[in-house]
Amino acid sequence: MPQTDIKTSKTQPTLTNSKLLKYTLFSVVFATIALITVILPAEYNIDPTGAGSALGLTVFDNEKPGAGIELPAEVAKERTATIEVVVPAGRGVEYKFTMAQYQKLTYEWTTDGSALYFDLHGEPKGDTTGYFESYAIATLDAMKGSFTAPFAGSHGWYWKNASAVPVTVQLVVSGEYIEHGLK
Amino acid sequence: MSHYFHRFGALSSVALIAILLPLEAFAHGVDENTREFLLNNTGVQIIPFLYIGAKHMVTGYDHLLFLVGVLFFLYKSRDVLLYVSMFTLGHSATLLFGVISDIGINAYLIDAIIGLSVVYKGFENLGGFKQTIGFTPNPKAAVLIFGLCHGFGLATKLQEFQLPSDGLISNLIAFNVGVELGQLTALAFILLVINYWRQHASFIRFSTITNCVLMSAGFMLIGFQLTGYAVS
Repeated sequence: MPQTDIKTSKTQPTLTNSKLLKYTLFSVVFATIALITVILPAEYNIDPTGAGSALGLTVFDNEKPGAGIELPAEVAKERTATIEVVVPAGRGVEYKFTMAQYQKLTYEWTTDGSALYFDLHGEPKGDTTGYFESYAIATLDAMKGSFTAPFAGSHGWYWKNASAVPVTVQLVVSGEYIEHGLK
Repeated sequence: MSHYFHRFGALSSVALIAILLPLEAFAHGVDENTREFLLNNTGVQIIPFLYIGAKHMVTGYDHLLFLVGVLFFLYKSRDVLLYVSMFTLGHSATLLFGVISDIGINAYLIDAIIGLSVVYKGFENLGGFKQTIGFTPNPKAAVLIFGLCHGFGLATKLQEFQLPSDGLISNLIAFNVGVELGQLTALAFILLVINYWRQHASFIRFSTITNCVLMSAGFMLIGFQLTGYAVS
């Protein structure tokens, strides 16, 4: 027994040579499988079997900080939306898209006839100073174009309805954004 | 119940503190905050070094696996005390010696040897030495020798930081004492679990497979560290 100096009956049952060999081999094989399929891919990005990347374990080494723009996978793809915004009489309304830096949005909007003053602009994420950057300011009843977000934040339109009746804006967008809504 | 409390009350409170310790650090090295501290450290800082030492031990799965292997078949408190003392003596000696004399041992290689100590202990618990070479090498001596290896492993962790000589000895001793406090905490856990499990028949039924898994974990540590050595 391993601890020969300990007098006790509660010890490891004696194993035969073949069993001992079997258990030792099992421990080596199990360790090797765990190393090759899980530990080495995760720790060192060494992935001879491809199991590591199949399990999604090779991600720890792939992320190099500062390389490229960090975009959640689901927001990086193109999305389209058709939105109707009602601007009440004599009031202003903001409709914004939350976008990461360098995400691009193509848009087209028309009103039901009357022209609206608008300011297409962006506000940096987390900014509390009230800073914004305008991309276009005019009074029009329709406009189409595109813009690339110069910084992460909320980007979109401020429409001001100076008339005495509500005006409905039909906005169609396609591009990359995280979420959108009235502000 | 109250008997249990008296016996384990102190240990349990240490254990509770350990649960509250952040567990983001792993066997390899030191987390970001600790790194920052060690790099900017000047002068004697007893409590922080105590803490780093304790944390290193509590979160160091290589040391813990070895302790599990050592304690697995120790039924008497006297034996537990004796073996743990041997381990403590071994790793304290090389921790102090390694840092003071600035002996440079590759951290990957020493950690691979620590992995080997886990394999050795598992194999010994399986009765493997008796079966294959006819006798079991003195287990106390083995624990002492592997304790020396674990100490060099601890030393490499501290040496990564070129600690200033100002207050080095005090900080080093604080780290060492911290390691022992961490070890006591870990022991409290391991003993509680093992002692509870021993009351059940499954302990012996599963002792073979448990030590087999222990060996396997040791092999994993060896492979992990040797690969680290190869790619570094």
